[in-house]
Amino acid sequence: MNRGTGGGFIAIGFSLLFFTFLFGPLIIMVITAFNSSSFPRITPWECFTTDWFGVLFGNDRLMTGLLNSLVIAIGVVAIAVPIGLAGALALSELGPKLRATLYTVLITPILIPGVVLGISTIVFWGALGRSVGADYGTFFYNGMFLTLAGQVTFISAYAMLVFLARLQRFDPLLTEAALDLGATPGQAFRKILLPFLGPAIGSAAFLTFLASFENYNTTVFTILSGNTFTTALASKVRHGTDPSLSALAVIIIGITLIGAIVHEAYARRQAAIRSGTAQRSRIYGNPVLKTLVHPLTVFAILAGAAGFAAWQGSQYDSNACEAQILEEKRAIQQQLLEEQRKRMQEQRQQQTAPTTAPETPGQASPSPFGGAFKPGTLSPGSDAEPSGDAPKSNSPFGGAFKPGALGPSGEPAQETPKNGSGFGSAFKPGSLKPE
Amino acid sequence: MGALQSVYRTFAGKHGTGTAAFIGIAVLFWVICLIVLPQIAMLDYSFRYNLPASEIGGPNDVYTLDNYVYFFRGNDGTINTLDMGILVRTLAAAVFVTIIDVLLCYPIAFILAHSATGVAARLMVIGLIVPFWVNEILRAFAFRVLFGSTGLINGVGMSLGLWDQPIDFIRADVALYSGLTYAYILLMVFPIFNAVEALDRNQIEAARDMGASWWRVHWRVVLPVAKPGIASGSTMVFMLTAGALAAPQILGGPSSLWFTQLIYQWFNQSANWQRGSAYAVLLLIVCISFVMMLMRVFKVSIGEIGR
Repeated sequence: MNRGTGGGFIAIGFSLLFFTFLFGPLIIMVITAFNSSSFPRITPWECFTTDWFGVLFGNDRLMTGLLNSLVIAIGVVAIAVPIGLAGALALSELGPKLRATLYTVLITPILIPGVVLGISTIVFWGALGRSVGADYGTFFYNGMFLTLAGQVTFISAYAMLVFLARLQRFDPLLTEAALDLGATPGQAFRKILLPFLGPAIGSAAFLTFLASFENYNTTVFTILSGNTFTTALASKVRHGTDPSLSALAVIIIGITLIGAIVHEAYARRQAAIRSGTAQRSRIYGNPVLKTLVHPLTVFAILAGAAGFAAWQGSQYDSNACEAQILEEKRAIQQQLLEEQRKRMQEQRQQQTAPTTAPETPGQASPSPFGGAFKPGTLSPGSDAEPSGDAPKSNSPFGGAFKPGALGPSGEPAQETPKNGSGFGSAFKPGSLKPE
Repeated sequence: MGALQSVYRTFAGKHGTGTAAFIGIAVLFWVICLIVLPQIAMLDYSFRYNLPASEIGGPNDVYTLDNYVYFFRGNDGTINTLDMGILVRTLAAAVFVTIIDVLLCYPIAFILAHSATGVAARLMVIGLIVPFWVNEILRAFAFRVLFGSTGLINGVGMSLGLWDQPIDFIRADVALYSGLTYAYILLMVFPIFNAVEALDRNQIEAARDMGASWWRVHWRVVLPVAKPGIASGSTMVFMLTAGALAAPQILGGPSSLWFTQLIYQWFNQSANWQRGSAYAVLLLIVCISFVMMLMRVFKVSIGEIGR
């Protein structure tokens, strides 16, 4: 099979690696949705929880954004699909030279960076609004309208590509025959060409909906001060993250997988019916199995399973486990406090007894806490790094328990670092949730 | 005008007047109101001063090259190395990401077209498409979870004792490049797949029978067929990467800006739309001329994009 073109094992291995790269990040993100840690991560695992879904649905900004996105996406489908169809039909009838020119013009919106499209849209409609003397309440300055205009510009081209691919397989003789048999050109269009394009209309609508819903680059400019789902999401990711986003990913991936499986069931059924082997095939010939693999049944089963999982999840209470984790953290903190006190006493004794003045008591210490308890860090007037940028913490320990301070070098890191100490970021100020 | 009328008449004769009118109006609206005029408006805007609303249209509202000069000279007449550096770095990074994508996707496209059969092939297609139904922002977020300083890679690496300090993948741009490579894989796989699929297997067999080694088969037989697909995929990946905004905002290090982020700053933080437009025009011109140049080098025409 693979003789001389890359080798079977290498091909399989490469494919496996490739799909690990594709799915690995998604799988990890899905897992983090169920960890009670307030930062999305797998290690250290704290508690299994479903609370992040509640946090997600409690996010008003995201939910209004979702509504806006749906409205815009439906509008884009309603406009971009007809425009794309018109573009494809126009291209299919033009002479070669005009066709090449028009094709280049119509395909450029896909290639132009989305940022540029967004900017040109707001500038153009703003200028138009100014020239007709419209004030800021009118649609020229309405984020929803501008987003619609900006997205239609390039999403129509996607729809057009779908229609072009389908039109390539159209036999123009069919239209000729209809005309010969006395149909008017309009009738021929409605009865012959449009039904032929039917499946393409479906997939174009799906594609445009998805493209509109997911778009960020253009929308972030054209929506002005408003929010769509994607822009709300992006600003949330940029300004601090929590696992409720992973919970969102779980929902989206779940819907996607159900959609993909149902579509696969549908495609196979169609293929079996079309090839005429349905009666003889083992699955489609058997009445029970036949109903079982019907796309609707598949959908019902999967949706039921998802609904059941959601219901189970909503019943699950992780409070006991979380309280336990909190208790453990408290205990560790208490222990540290004790040790700190002891060390301070020792230090005081050392200061009063200068005969024994070891240079580095911290290094000699068997304590696993690294430099955190180096005397310098604790002395009141110290300008040591960790206490210097102590976060606004409710903890009475100031910067001493900042995770960075526990690391071997005590270097403050950008995010809460996972450090070598066995305590992870148990001392991250935010991790002690107020009860 | 005459040409347009004759085209209209052909349509009316073939599909009916209603359809012809619809096609004409829709295409003209699309080309004029959505594609051409906005770009012209942006170009016009980029040559104007940033004036308060009351002075627009007044005597001070004249054309200027100021916004473009700023890109090259800065405010104080010295060379604006910061902004130019960002543009060059963005382009270089986009080229890098595109090359990685070609290297990753060519084998997969070939395997998909010629080695995988039946269930495996269908699964591969589904596996390729499913990740791209997930929102772009969430995909970037996944890489943040993976590469963050408390992320999985740092966690595993440190617990295995490979390194004892969290490595800052975000600052080193590893996260950004992986995220961008990931983001546009699909747009590279399918054009190459479409091109390679057209290749007759017998040609490979023939080359093999005549004693060509496997890399020679790829270099002399498969690659020439795949070239239009690679060009088409590379164009899309390059343009999208250079124009990406979400991934650099989420995964970019604090010290490294993407050129689109610069444009975004002019618009949203400095409220200087004119200069933002000028930068957008620059990005557009640079990207398009870069792609045109490469297409000429590789002898591919724009008509083959998107097939």
